[in-house]
Formats: sequence, structure tokens, C-alpha cells
Amino acid sequence: MTEVLRNFLDVLPGFRSREVSLFVAQMDDQSRRLREDLQGVSASELAWQPARGMNTIGMLLAHIAVVEVLWTTVGLLDETTERFEEVLGIGRDDDGIPLAAGSQPPTVLANRELAFYLDLLERTRAHTKAQTAHFTDADLDDVVRRRRPDRPDREFNKRWVLYHLLEHEAGHYGQILLLRHQYRAGLDPR
Amino acid sequence: MTDTVQTLLEVPTGYRSTHVARILWQLDDQSRRLTEETRGLGVRELGWQFAPGTNTIGMLMTHIAVAEAHLTQVGLEGKADSDLPSVIGIRTDDDGLPLPTEGLPPAVLEGKDLAFFDDLLARARANTRRVAMQLTDSDLARQITRHRPDGTTRIFNLDWALYHILEHEAGHFGQILLLKHLYQTTHARV
Repeated sequence: MTEVLRNFLDVLPGFRSREVSLFVAQMDDQSRRLREDLQGVSASELAWQPARGMNTIGMLLAHIAVVEVLWTTVGLLDETTERFEEVLGIGRDDDGIPLAAGSQPPTVLANRELAFYLDLLERTRAHTKAQTAHFTDADLDDVVRRRRPDRPDREFNKRWVLYHLLEHEAGHYGQILLLRHQYRAGLDPR
Repeated sequence: MTDTVQTLLEVPTGYRSTHVARILWQLDDQSRRLTEETRGLGVRELGWQFAPGTNTIGMLMTHIAVAEAHLTQVGLEGKADSDLPSVIGIRTDDDGLPLPTEGLPPAVLEGKDLAFFDDLLARARANTRRVAMQLTDSDLARQITRHRPDGTTRIFNLDWALYHILEHEAGHFGQILLLKHLYQTTHARV
């Protein structure tokens, strides 16, 4: 029997906006493939650095979760109160990113198993879905302005936030694949 | 400080479909940032391998252009096969991906500078934009069936193909950032 691969973007149920649903479906596609590609990863691989000062797979997984909660809260909901502990059970800086030159991974992530990170990602996505299900297409045109101390203000629309969540996860997913390749091959930089 | 950094996901003009226009905005955002992040990279850095069997930045930039040109022709245009030389001037296999274990970068990319890779990406995008401008919303549901050399069959629609071009570039852009960081980290030590 010929194997048939089907690739379609299906509208997720429970969303008022088809556009929001499609963005979240794309994020879910990234997360599904990320989970598949992480099967069998050990705690030591999750904590492996190709060189000091470089991110680990575990740090990147935590970072995907932290950033998704951050942008959902301050970007889509236009809130100033942080929800990291409430949603994830870890703090905003616990991903350790950006890591200082020559540094090792944050101790809060030491010896963490894959289940820990998958739980972070699951909680994050559940939060994102719950907060965006009521959005309408028109909501995505809303412009949010963030004031930042000692830096220029930042202004963006909510459509951009959804795109950013998608491309942010996709970019770090690509990095995780690269780190797995480097680790499995037992490679040292030349 | 009164400056404002503004990031609005907008609808570029000239497209028949608003949805498609927004995806091209997202693709162009990825490419703009990829261009910014690769300025100043020399031939040595573009051709550097972390270890034999791993991709270089130049290979990944080529692969983004190859994949985009291929998917545009066989996916968005529905052609039976792609003709990459007519779009970007190189062949499908010239990116060297997938590289065999212990493999070295393809000879065709040896000594190529940033202008070469920039040109590949620009030509691929110009072709994608030309094709995408003609697509309507109803085209997005059109299904494409591809019989692949490994005996499998792949069925997808144009909506998924556009998403795939985007997430493919985003994932490899993330890898390029990691390789750039790793090169700078490891070469700063010596």
C-alpha cells in the first residue's frame, strides 16, 4: 500500500476568528513536529551545550514557552501584569536567555527531563488558546503600544504578535533540530 | 526618549488575495531580518562547518532559495516538476542537502560570497511574489498530489504550501543565527 502524507491547515474549532484559528493551527503544527523530533531525548542531551555561552535544547524549549506567555499577555491582551509563575510555574528569566559569553545553563533547568519541558509547552499553548478564542478578525488590527524604559517605545498590531509567536517557535525549533544533530554525532567544533 | 519602533503586519498592494498578501509580508519580514543578520559575513564564515557532515550558513541560504523556488513551481503553480535553473540559476541538488555523514560542503558553493547567496534569495522571492500575486482566496484550497521518488504520495493544498515556505525559511534562519553565534564563539577563543 502506498503511504499517503496529507498536509492541510485545518481550522481549529472554538475560535471566533478563522484567521486566529489558522495561526494557532500553524503553531500547533510546529509543536506537534517538535514533540515528535524530541522523542527519546535524554536529560543530558537537553542540557548539552556545543560550547560555553551557547543555548541548550532545554533552554530553548523553556524560552519558547516563556516568550509565548509574554507576548500573549503583553501583546494580545495588552496587560502589564506578568503571568509566568501563574501559567508556567517558572519565572521570566528561568530560560537563561540571553546567556552571557562563557556561561553554563541556568541551574533551575539542571537535570530536567523532557516531560518537564513538554508540560511547559502544553500549559503555554492552552493559555494562548484560551486567551485568543474570543478574538475577532477586527481585533487583529488593534495596535498596542508598549513603553520601555531607556528604549524607544514599541508599537505593533495583534496580527503581528500571532505571526511572531509562530516564527519564533519555528526558528527555535530549527535550532533544536540542529543541536540534536550535533549532539548525536558526538561532534566537536573544529 | 520619544522614538517608536513600529511593527505592523500589513497588506502589501498588488495581490488578488489579502490572505496571500499577508503571507508574503511575513516571508519578506523573514528575509529582511536574514539579510540584516548576515551582513558582514565573509566567505570563510559562510563556508564554515561545525564538523564534517553538518550544514554551512551558505548551504542553508542556498537551501532556502532552492526549496522556495521548488515549492512555488510544483506547489503554487502546480507544475509537474520544477525547473530551478530558470528561476535561480542553480540546480536542486546544488545546496548539498542532505549532506552525508562526514560530508563536506558542495564544491559548487566553494568560495561563494554573500552577494551570491543574496542573489539566489532575491531571485527566488521575486518569482514567488510574481506567482502569489495571481492567487485568489479560492486557489488556496486547491489540492496538489505529488508522487515522490521514495514511493510515498503527498497531498497538500496551496494554503499549506505557503505556510510551509514561511516556516521552512524561519527554521533555517534560526539555524543560521545559531551557526553564526557558534562560529563567533569558537573562533574568538583562538
